[in-house]
Amino acid sequence: MIRRVSNVVLLVVAVALCYGMQTSTPHYARLTGLIPVRGGIGETIEARSFSLKVAKIGFAHTLKLNAFGKEKVLTTGGLWAIVTAELAARDASTSVWGGIWQGPAGLRYRTSERLGVAPGAPPFSLEPGLPRKVRFVFEIPADQAANATLLVASARFSALDSEAQIKLGTVETGADGLPAGVIETFDLDQPI
Amino acid sequence: MFGTLRGKLKAWITAGAGTIAAILVAGLLGAFGALPKPEIQHFAPDATIETGQWLIKPLRLHVGEERVYGLPVKPDEKAVILEVELTNRTAESTKDYFTAIQLAAPFADTTESPLIVLTRDQTMSPELQPGLPERMAYIWTLPKDRSLPASLSFTVNTQIYKARDNLYGTPGWYNQHPAGTVSLPLQAKGGGA
Repeated sequence: MIRRVSNVVLLVVAVALCYGMQTSTPHYARLTGLIPVRGGIGETIEARSFSLKVAKIGFAHTLKLNAFGKEKVLTTGGLWAIVTAELAARDASTSVWGGIWQGPAGLRYRTSERLGVAPGAPPFSLEPGLPRKVRFVFEIPADQAANATLLVASARFSALDSEAQIKLGTVETGADGLPAGVIETFDLDQPI
Repeated sequence: MFGTLRGKLKAWITAGAGTIAAILVAGLLGAFGALPKPEIQHFAPDATIETGQWLIKPLRLHVGEERVYGLPVKPDEKAVILEVELTNRTAESTKDYFTAIQLAAPFADTTESPLIVLTRDQTMSPELQPGLPERMAYIWTLPKDRSLPASLSFTVNTQIYKARDNLYGTPGWYNQHPAGTVSLPLQAKGGGA
């Protein structure tokens, strides 16, 4: 009788132990995920293969760009967020696929694909010793503008590489809920 | 004598446990499979349909020729255009909407997958941003001489979220299955596009 009970107890303990180990270990996607390198606006952030320095952020209602000799005007249901930054490769040619605008609640907005293959659109190819100014263009709802984080990595899907995480900080908002500095049209053809 | 019989019985049961379990499972699966399937849901044409990743609001259904949303249509074909409002409910930009809406019977097996265009500026299948509704046009092509009924049915598909999938252990949307169907009246030619 005692032997039977002890067997049952042993089984229950083993199940509990296995379950505990399964639930307490970090998520596999997290274990093999990107390694953050944190910083703020104006700081040079050294990722494994590139360095990044965010200069400024702008918001606009429409975008204007020249694609293959045709003027394109891109409207949006939200806002365009334009992050101007300087990118440089560290010791070998590399590229940056784009970036992610992570809103205050963790929603992830990838660089807009609506720009197509216009000049200056991502992916950005980088050479060591030749820093390059680029624009990351995002399409976001107005409530995601403040307290966002910019995430930049070399490849869109990668593991165990570094990811630059730049806190973009607070954004002054007007009475209409829009960022204070929002402009009507942002011309992407103007020099950075 | 009874002792040996008991031992034999025990041996039989031990050896046959796996077989008994297999027969039981197969029987149960067969019984559950034979149960009547729940009827597929029909959505009202003006309803906002909630799938795992999307809020889908059908707006209008019409037929186009020659050029629709900047895309050429072959001379011997016509385009069936379904305009919907898509809202990304997930936490990430995504373009996982190619099979969210499919033509249902009797057109289900006769067409290729649709072309999907952002009506705002005719961008081909861009990623949609979380919480930003966009008007999208699903464009199927059919032979020009094929007659169309007064209204068409569409299957709306949904997927389920898995925090870790069985193969890679990564989060994602899997197991696509129909959420229901929706029928829309075909509008007369010449409207919009």
